[in-house]
Amino acid sequence: MRAISFSCQGESHIASGKVCQDYSYSHVYENGNAIAIVCDGHGGKRYFRSDVGAKIAAKVAEVKVNGFIDQIGESLIKGTPFTQRGTISEQIAKGDFSKSNKIDSAFRWLFGSIISEWNSLVTAHAECNPITETEKTSLEERWVTDFEGKVNFEKVYGCTLMVYVYTPEYWFAFQIGDGKCFACNDKGNWTEPIPWDDNCFLNKTTSISDSGAIDEFRYCYEGDGVHPIAVILGSDGIDDSFGLPENQANFYVQILKSIVTSGEEATIKEIESDLPQLSKIGSQDDMSLSMIYDEEKLKEIYLKLIEWQISNVKRDIANEYCKIGKANKIQQSLESIERPTRQNLIDLQYANADEKKAIEIGGKLMVRLEVLMKELNKFDRGFPLFGFIILKFMVIFLLY
Amino acid sequence: MSLLDEQVSVPRRTMTLFFLIDTSGSMEGSKIGAVNDAVENVLPMLDEISAENPDAEIKVAALEFSSGVHWLYSEPKLASDFVWQDVKAGGLTSLGAACAELSSKLSRSGYMQSASGAFAPAIILLSDGGPTDDYESGLAKLKANNWFKAAIKIAIAIGDDADKDVLKQFAGNSEAVFTVHNIDALKQIIRVVAVTSSQIGSKSSTAGDTTKQEQVIEEVKDAVENIKGAEAATSVDTSSYDDDWD
Repeated sequence: MRAISFSCQGESHIASGKVCQDYSYSHVYENGNAIAIVCDGHGGKRYFRSDVGAKIAAKVAEVKVNGFIDQIGESLIKGTPFTQRGTISEQIAKGDFSKSNKIDSAFRWLFGSIISEWNSLVTAHAECNPITETEKTSLEERWVTDFEGKVNFEKVYGCTLMVYVYTPEYWFAFQIGDGKCFACNDKGNWTEPIPWDDNCFLNKTTSISDSGAIDEFRYCYEGDGVHPIAVILGSDGIDDSFGLPENQANFYVQILKSIVTSGEEATIKEIESDLPQLSKIGSQDDMSLSMIYDEEKLKEIYLKLIEWQISNVKRDIANEYCKIGKANKIQQSLESIERPTRQNLIDLQYANADEKKAIEIGGKLMVRLEVLMKELNKFDRGFPLFGFIILKFMVIFLLY
Repeated sequence: MSLLDEQVSVPRRTMTLFFLIDTSGSMEGSKIGAVNDAVENVLPMLDEISAENPDAEIKVAALEFSSGVHWLYSEPKLASDFVWQDVKAGGLTSLGAACAELSSKLSRSGYMQSASGAFAPAIILLSDGGPTDDYESGLAKLKANNWFKAAIKIAIAIGDDADKDVLKQFAGNSEAVFTVHNIDALKQIIRVVAVTSSQIGSKSSTAGDTTKQEQVIEEVKDAVENIKGAEAATSVDTSSYDDDWD
């Protein structure tokens, strides 16, 4: 197993002089276990030490997870199929809560121990580090009063926490707050194994500093011998840049492909130069990425990753083709009208614009398809180049 | 090789501005004419804000409600592409149906593809009367919607006959309700609210810990002081203006 992690200051934080409030960590242990962690400190002024809270959360999570693994032994999760558990309120709504078993109790104990230790450490940090004059200048009086009165210390350090753990016998992942965990299986397909929490919406997130934090953790585990080939954790700065999950998974495919073709060291350099760039053109937020991958199996699924991309591009080309067809139908129905109404003219205007846009996007997608086909062809697995040429002509014919 | 090559899509983030327009019979004449005129004229301004904004592009959607509800287009359009179609007044005031319809579109299966990469929408409600349907159930449904909860919500009461209590319930507080008493004020407030909501709603960073809605309210309040015939909600009960819609 191999591990990579990287965090960078977001474009908006650079502009406003804010530190990077994300923290990421990954490690492969000598016993074959591995861990990836991403923590995102909250951005509001009230959370003025959330960068410290994020680092503490990551360190506490690592220690507690290792203790948890030692304590539960191999047998507890081993043999269990892939299982997902939402927040407690989600479990109650789904009727899953009553089905809680020893594994769920063990996870609840783990989450409780992380929260408790994190609370102790942030309180100790607050007591050892009184509020500074610099901190005071950007704070409302009530937050200063709260801090000096030792009220809700933990809020000042509030952050999210997302963890993936690999052991040779089983794996598990858990999360409180936003950010996304993506897993790639041996078919080159992507899933989000940790259930989503609808309380994390737009700029609102659950937090390790919430009073009911233990009920807000959600998690998944699997012990039947099936492991993801790669798991990538990303802070919300990344998913806000890509919008749709398939765009984000596509970026992760680029990372995995780069590891295979250019090596890990070169890929890390790419990540370090591209994530700040992504923040600039995307969400402008801090960016964090932490991943664990199986380097041998990754090589085996390299072609499947390209095929996954090809399949998505083909689907997108088909969608654009549908839009062109729809626009053409409207154009044909309106062109035959002798005295068009204003509504007819507006509809025709939109149909023309939709057709133009779809042709433009379709053309770009064709370029993408061509590049991917060449990549696939390079590995010469008997890929039918002739088939691609036929496909290309067909699409060009349909688009024009 | 860059990881962000031509294979990777990084779409611009999106902020959708919704106009909810009361087109009941009482809006007939100069009121509906002013609404049509003002919205049509503000669209190029929204396009300009969208074009100059590195954070997000602005899309526009418009729902008219009278005896029924009707979207001007079946999907939000970019401000640059939106061709305004004059709405006509006639019929009752189905605000409850409008709320239910808006709620159905504030979803993944509706107009909002994904919360990732999107900004909370801005919603502007314009009305000159009181609802004639069961608005409470429609509004309750809307208020439970996550997108609506996060949205910038501003209500414009067109004249003193508008039911300001209902508008206050829609917008979440009385500060988010502005009243206008003449055509010129109506046109100006539509422009100010639409432009301010779009500017603030489509920005990544917020000023301090105030919500975007609070920021919009503050800016619109300042602007209203210079619009003759327009008032912030706090002065509604002691209105210094009489309605003049001729």
